Amino acid sequence: MNLQFIADGLIAGSMIGLGAIGITLTYSILRFSNFSHGDLMAWGAYATLSLVAAITTAFGTVAPIWPLSFGWPLIVAGVLAMIVTGGLALLLDWLLFARLRAKGQAIIVVMASFGASMALRSLLEFVFTSSPEYFSRAIQMAMPVGLGIRITPDQIVLLLITAALVSAMHLFMTRSQTGREMRAYSQNPALAQVVGIDVARVVRATWLLGGALACAAGIMVGVLVQIRPLMGLDMLLPMFAAAILGGIGSIPGAVLAGLIIGLSEAAAVQLVGAEWRAAVAFVILMGVLLIRPTGLFGVTER
Amino acid sequence: MSAPILDVRGLVAGYEPGLNIVRGASIHADEGEIVVILGPNGAGKSSLIKAIAGLVPVSGGHVLLDGVDITATPAHLMIRRGLAFVPQTENIFPLLTVEENLRVAGGVLARGEVGPRIDELFSMFPDLARQRRLAAGSLSGGQRQMLAVARALIVRPRVLMLDEPSAGLSPKLVEHVFARLGEIRRAGLTIVLVEQNARAALAIGDRAYVLVEGCEAHEGPAKTLWDDPVIAELYLGQRRATS
Repeated sequence: MNLQFIADGLIAGSMIGLGAIGITLTYSILRFSNFSHGDLMAWGAYATLSLVAAITTAFGTVAPIWPLSFGWPLIVAGVLAMIVTGGLALLLDWLLFARLRAKGQAIIVVMASFGASMALRSLLEFVFTSSPEYFSRAIQMAMPVGLGIRITPDQIVLLLITAALVSAMHLFMTRSQTGREMRAYSQNPALAQVVGIDVARVVRATWLLGGALACAAGIMVGVLVQIRPLMGLDMLLPMFAAAILGGIGSIPGAVLAGLIIGLSEAAAVQLVGAEWRAAVAFVILMGVLLIRPTGLFGVTER
Repeated sequence: MSAPILDVRGLVAGYEPGLNIVRGASIHADEGEIVVILGPNGAGKSSLIKAIAGLVPVSGGHVLLDGVDITATPAHLMIRRGLAFVPQTENIFPLLTVEENLRVAGGVLARGEVGPRIDELFSMFPDLARQRRLAAGSLSGGQRQMLAVARALIVRPRVLMLDEPSAGLSPKLVEHVFARLGEIRRAGLTIVLVEQNARAALAIGDRAYVLVEGCEAHEGPAKTLWDDPVIAELYLGQRRATS
């Protein structure tokens, strides 16, 4: 049996997991399913692409860092784009979600996020057209790492970056005052106010972090696959599946569930057939929820 | 006579416009006093202190804290003004540890001040100190109540308001919780207490109000209120035989 699906699955899974963090945060803190989260990913990827182009224009073409397919401009652009995407999420909240949230009906906010999703996607298609773009068109050689598995240097570096981002996020949520406030607010918004937590600050942090991590996931997809306006929409369902499977509100849960879904999709392609790929995530999701309705790391509400 | 530390004048409040639950209530608390608010079910006791705490929309009247008008200040700023509130139920964050429950409320303090203040609170509440790394949701009812009180004290409020701290506790635990409140008061804090358990509350209270239909109907020293047969029968649902 070919074990290549393990590498493929881990890589797909870490992109799903990074995206799912934002979804699980918005769901547990702002209490709605944000269907425009995938489009924040796409915006992050395009923002990075534009910033790389700007850097290249200013400094001339920069050679990639061997053996990777990209050089420092992508890293600088990526960090800037994470801030930009976080800002875009804040802007979206200010323009749309905050106003509707004030009226108090979650379903209206969910529907608005569908609308935001379409608008964001159409804007990308309008500006960048719907033909795919690439950070690099160079072909990378995959190196054998044993057991018949091959992996490219880009993939290894991006897996390490994902691990670093997820660890940093976990530390932030458990060790920083803002992280504690976010967890407290997700458990009991009314009590959070009573103990002096500034709700507006918690909401801002949630959007900034969710947007920045969506951007990171978008850049990964861009580097390893391609950049398209529909790239985020394609990942929306697996990301939601991961957020729910991991247990709403749990960051380690979202990441672990992302990896499980990535791995099982890759395994399904190899063992069952590529047409079953998308179905597998949902079979697993339903299976787990039947046995454990709160998800892997979920906790029963009060 | 010095001005009261908490002065509530003709407060009108309710969740929906035109449906006021608090109808012109006036109460006050002097520095270092324990004031008890009693009354039949539905009298608006809880709504009154929630309105003072900024959790129920206020449509009339004033709340003065140490002479400063804090009427309808957003709830999360009340603690900065020196007014702490402990809700009746769901008053801890069950998934945070005991220590995190305290730490999360210390956002108002300077960074270096939080650690020493938590140590002070743990020496006041040794039961909590032993369980500082456990999820707060695993605490017993009495310990949860003490954690909620400790958390309210972290930023050194001037006035502590509690909504039925005895709810759901065994008589022995009620005695324990109320004894701790007495100790906290001796440290100089002013306490406003809403209670169904009139007997336990009046035993530690200095002064009491009986709230009826959203307005104070009687006021007097805690001891005499308990002994007033008319009030006892009408509002406290007292079974005389038990006293």
